[in-house]
Amino acid sequence: MPPGLDQLKHIVVLMMENRSFDHMLGSLKAVNPAIDGYIDSDPFTNPDTNKNPVKPQALAEFQGQLNPDPDHHFPAVDVQIYGGQTGSGRVANMQGFVTSYFHQRGDVDHSQKIMYYFKQSDLPVLTTLALQFAVFNRWFASIPGPTICNRAFAHYGTSFGRVDMDPFDVIEPIKSIYTRLVTATAKHSAKVYYYDTSSSTMEVANLLQHQTELFGMYSQFLSDCDKGLLPDYSFVEPNYSDHDTDDGEEVASDQHPDHDVQAGEQLVAEVYTHIKNGPGWASTALLVVYDEHGGIFDHVVPPSCKPDKFPCSQVDPGTGQPFKFDRLGVRVPAILISPWIPQGTVVNRVFDHASIPATISKFFLGGSPDVSPRESNADVFIEPNNGQGNLANNLLSLDVMRNDCPSFRIRK
Amino acid sequence: MEPIDVPRPKSVRDPNRPVSSLLLAQVKHLREAEKSLPPQYHSGIFSHAIQTESEAARYIQSVTEAIHAAHNDAAAERIRKVPKGKRGIEIAVADEAVERRAKKKSRSKKKDSPSKRKK
Repeated sequence: MPPGLDQLKHIVVLMMENRSFDHMLGSLKAVNPAIDGYIDSDPFTNPDTNKNPVKPQALAEFQGQLNPDPDHHFPAVDVQIYGGQTGSGRVANMQGFVTSYFHQRGDVDHSQKIMYYFKQSDLPVLTTLALQFAVFNRWFASIPGPTICNRAFAHYGTSFGRVDMDPFDVIEPIKSIYTRLVTATAKHSAKVYYYDTSSSTMEVANLLQHQTELFGMYSQFLSDCDKGLLPDYSFVEPNYSDHDTDDGEEVASDQHPDHDVQAGEQLVAEVYTHIKNGPGWASTALLVVYDEHGGIFDHVVPPSCKPDKFPCSQVDPGTGQPFKFDRLGVRVPAILISPWIPQGTVVNRVFDHASIPATISKFFLGGSPDVSPRESNADVFIEPNNGQGNLANNLLSLDVMRNDCPSFRIRK
Repeated sequence: MEPIDVPRPKSVRDPNRPVSSLLLAQVKHLREAEKSLPPQYHSGIFSHAIQTESEAARYIQSVTEAIHAAHNDAAAERIRKVPKGKRGIEIAVADEAVERRAKKKSRSKKKDSPSKRKK
């Protein structure tokens, strides 16, 4: 058994908000051509509403640029992926981002900013982690739609037929990955760490309302890292709003437009640093992933996938045709971090957020009965260490733990 | 490797920023959750009037803390109802006894089930 897998005791997932792969990591293609991003000589463009081709440009700004918030609800994402085509026989072409954004403000020049991406130097944390550990070329949102249903795939392996943001009911016998862990015969530990009570969790309707014991706060997460008290599985949520607390002013760190991207960089750096400097570094793997693309451009056509078993709650989810949960959403940044991962690892297998409960379940429990078809078909990003994994896919593959992992100096 | 600098954000912090569709959705979820809480845990905030991030944060905090408080109070009440002499470590023993009785009852029910009755 590879020592990285053998020693692995804790898996942490930090899920950020609403930024696409090309927007955040596209610049890295110029550094490592194996990373499927964007360079200036690539032919990818999007037409604006005057039919002029708009190229991606490294002009993204940390805040104040993507205002209004680009539409990322199901009908708008359909336009973005299919370039406005409707009807059967249409082919996804990723040509609708500019026209979709134009619909929100009616400003041609402004609509082109949806094609802006960050320079490598703008995002020292995310790009360093992507280059130093394992970056996923093909991690997609689970559905071509908004936050709540995509995050549901990370918690349950399904959104129970939802493509919208309304509260949904968990349909038995499917359980959240947290419930599966804490009620297993060989009991495991799991926690959802939200930033503070003013930010709270996005999983209110089922988890927070019925299982408050699953939750802790971000300050506790950092302390648990420092003291070696992390549970087996941790899901960390960023700060979703600017707000005041008794301890001072808090700035949103989720990177959801129009929140400051640099605040999110600090959050990612802080999570990484506390894990790395804590006693559990050798036995912890951290996945930094984004829930969906936020309406921002990406050039990779999402693949089809095994349909989920739940019919869509809306006969027509706003696109004129039914949705069968048989195709993924737009590509998002995803990076797996561990001192056992070789520098410069690039993963080309297809993943979506159902891979999260699939991975956790198989690693800690040897699998779960009663999972969604999407979860049962999802690839895992960490192979189980019980002899049932495919060691050829193991990313924690080094025989000796690295001592050259990056460190960050977070300016306060 | 030298530590990599992570700049301090030059954020335009704006608690009066118009509330996003994401936060409105979260407010909606919490509103539904608040309906199932007993009245003493209600926030007293008219959530339909929320227009800014700070207003959303205030409501989110209030209901999140109320949910936690309601669960904590229910747990405390559960313990309180256990006779004094059986609190603390004895609660675990009492729980085990309850479980054993339930299992025994279940086994005797199976024995008496029509399919297993002697003919």
